[in-house]
Amino acid sequence: MGHLVTSVAPLPLQGGGLGRFIDPFVQFLTDITNLEPVLLQLLAFGLLLGGVYALTALGLTMIFGVMDVINFAHGVFLVVGMYSVWLVSEMAGISPFLGIPIAAAVLFVLGVVVHVLTVEPIIEAPQQNQLIATLGVLFIIQSAIEIVFTPDPQQVELSLGSIQVGGVFIPLGQFYALVIALGTMLAVRAFLNRTDLGRKIRGTADNRDGARYVGINVRRINYLTFGIGAALAGVAGGSIALFQRFDPFTGETYLINAFVIVILGGLGSFPGAFVGGLIVGMIQVFGGYYLPGTTAQVLIFLLFIGTLLVKPEGLFGGAEA
Amino acid sequence: MSAIETVRDRYRTFDDQRYAPLVKGVALFGLLAALPTIIEIDVAGMELAALLSLKVLILTVIYAYTAQAWNIMSGYTGQFSFGHAAFFGIGAYATQALVVDAAVNPWIGMLVGGVLAGGYGLIIGALSFRFKLQGHYFALATLAFAELLRFVVTNMSELRGANGYFKAFPRDYGAEYGLVAFQFQNDLPYYYLIVGFLLVVTLVSWLIKNSWVGLYFFAIREDERAAASVGVPSFRYKLIGVAVSAFFTALGGAYWSMYFNTIRPDTVFALFKNVELLLPAVVGGPGTLLGPIVGSFIVTPVSEIARTTFSDINGLDRIIYGAFLVAIVIYSPRGVVSWPSQARALWERVRGDEEVNE
Repeated sequence: MGHLVTSVAPLPLQGGGLGRFIDPFVQFLTDITNLEPVLLQLLAFGLLLGGVYALTALGLTMIFGVMDVINFAHGVFLVVGMYSVWLVSEMAGISPFLGIPIAAAVLFVLGVVVHVLTVEPIIEAPQQNQLIATLGVLFIIQSAIEIVFTPDPQQVELSLGSIQVGGVFIPLGQFYALVIALGTMLAVRAFLNRTDLGRKIRGTADNRDGARYVGINVRRINYLTFGIGAALAGVAGGSIALFQRFDPFTGETYLINAFVIVILGGLGSFPGAFVGGLIVGMIQVFGGYYLPGTTAQVLIFLLFIGTLLVKPEGLFGGAEA
Repeated sequence: MSAIETVRDRYRTFDDQRYAPLVKGVALFGLLAALPTIIEIDVAGMELAALLSLKVLILTVIYAYTAQAWNIMSGYTGQFSFGHAAFFGIGAYATQALVVDAAVNPWIGMLVGGVLAGGYGLIIGALSFRFKLQGHYFALATLAFAELLRFVVTNMSELRGANGYFKAFPRDYGAEYGLVAFQFQNDLPYYYLIVGFLLVVTLVSWLIKNSWVGLYFFAIREDERAAASVGVPSFRYKLIGVAVSAFFTALGGAYWSMYFNTIRPDTVFALFKNVELLLPAVVGGPGTLLGPIVGSFIVTPVSEIARTTFSDINGLDRIIYGAFLVAIVIYSPRGVVSWPSQARALWERVRGDEEVNE
């Protein structure tokens, strides 16, 4: 985690001068030439964080790729996933790991409901209308959670501990989250490539009108896509809850980073989401260690803007859904 | 002829007169000027002021002002900006940094902020339009430019990082409470000042709308390629729209920073601020002159009253915000100001049917 690493090396807000821009990079390069063991540790953290980030972006990129809708509610969908896992493990005493499929089911239903109520009526409207509508959904759900569960941070009671691999410290909660992320990505890929429904979804993503002509029920594909996208957010949120405290507003940071990942990796591309997730995760972990404060986030936004301008189709085209 | 029809016909004759916009404007701003008095009128032992304080009125007019400024770019040229908090924050920060750190008069700081914001707008616009960003991509790019500034300012100790600025006393920059100092000891002058701001930006909007600049703006909004093909220099005019809009949004930020005591990156550059700045225009009717003002008088008081009345239920105001957002774009994407004409059309259709039936 980004702030886990910053807590390892708390760097205060530094004074002026150009040094603060150059020094961290000099330090970074010196560490590389000296083969500092901390690099391996950072790499591990970056991989763990990046995998989870990729998972948070999957649902977003799917809805974006198939329906051409920016779902601002995606971040709060993650939060609903976190609270679902928390509720299941706290109230019903079920293992949080079993809570994750439950979170996915809850989110699938919520996604379909949100889609039918707010997105479907305006699917043909100008793009900013869908953006505003899903933003409205974000506020409604976020505040509903805040009212019901208070704004205080919650935590799933789960002490998984950690393991040491070759001198590298790996928190098991994050490790399981990464495994879940990878498994989910492979499963969704197989679903899209191998099943009939998956092929229809990809067909709709490629060409909505064409899909209609060959007899695909695009309306049905739309709400299934939105439901699956939300369910993926449920899995992602549930996995994050395994290792991190959360509150009703946790989703905002993840949402913004998920946007970055989706654009970076390419609209609707799953491998792109994975690579994009790794890039953002690595920048946050390495940036959190070497750069003062939250400067790493500045780098991420610069990368985001650069990609939007120069290669809006992202690193991986947008051929795949 | 019924009385209603007489009134309607008279109104239409009036509406055709050249002086009609002037009369309407005077009436509207006369009403705004009278509002602080109106809310204190006793109606059946109840003062409206119990619900609608002067503070809420100020906030309402601030958001009417910013939405009017947003409208110049996004409503008129159709380039949907989701990052106006960038300009708002620049205005607030330029003013406070100059006032607190250099004892410069806030009016000067405000203009500096306006110019800086206009420049930032030109950079955003030039890059985005040059690389032909549209729709989602443009909205995301503007959001990214705003979030970028939030993190830059948070990490700049020169701008006091995450702590932000605490407003200085007038004597600290060699002035006394009053218009020159941009600070007053009670809220009423603040209210008239922001109404004045709103008047200026509404006048500018009206002038743009009724000139060839506005004509070009609307042509770009409706069909940019068609506009370009008949010789509208769309790149340049979109830039003009961004710059003007950014400039005025920054003045709103400057006012904000002089009215409230503190500014922080998390308040003036907040993600939510991007929404607050544009929402009244979307609710009232994007691309219209009256929409931002009407929209703000619907959205802001309701959510403020919800916040103060149900202060133990944190977040209720945001639920109301959300409900507005969803309902408006689904049921009335042209905004509240389109309701009278829609009602009239409906009325005429109903009556038309009746005549056929007879």
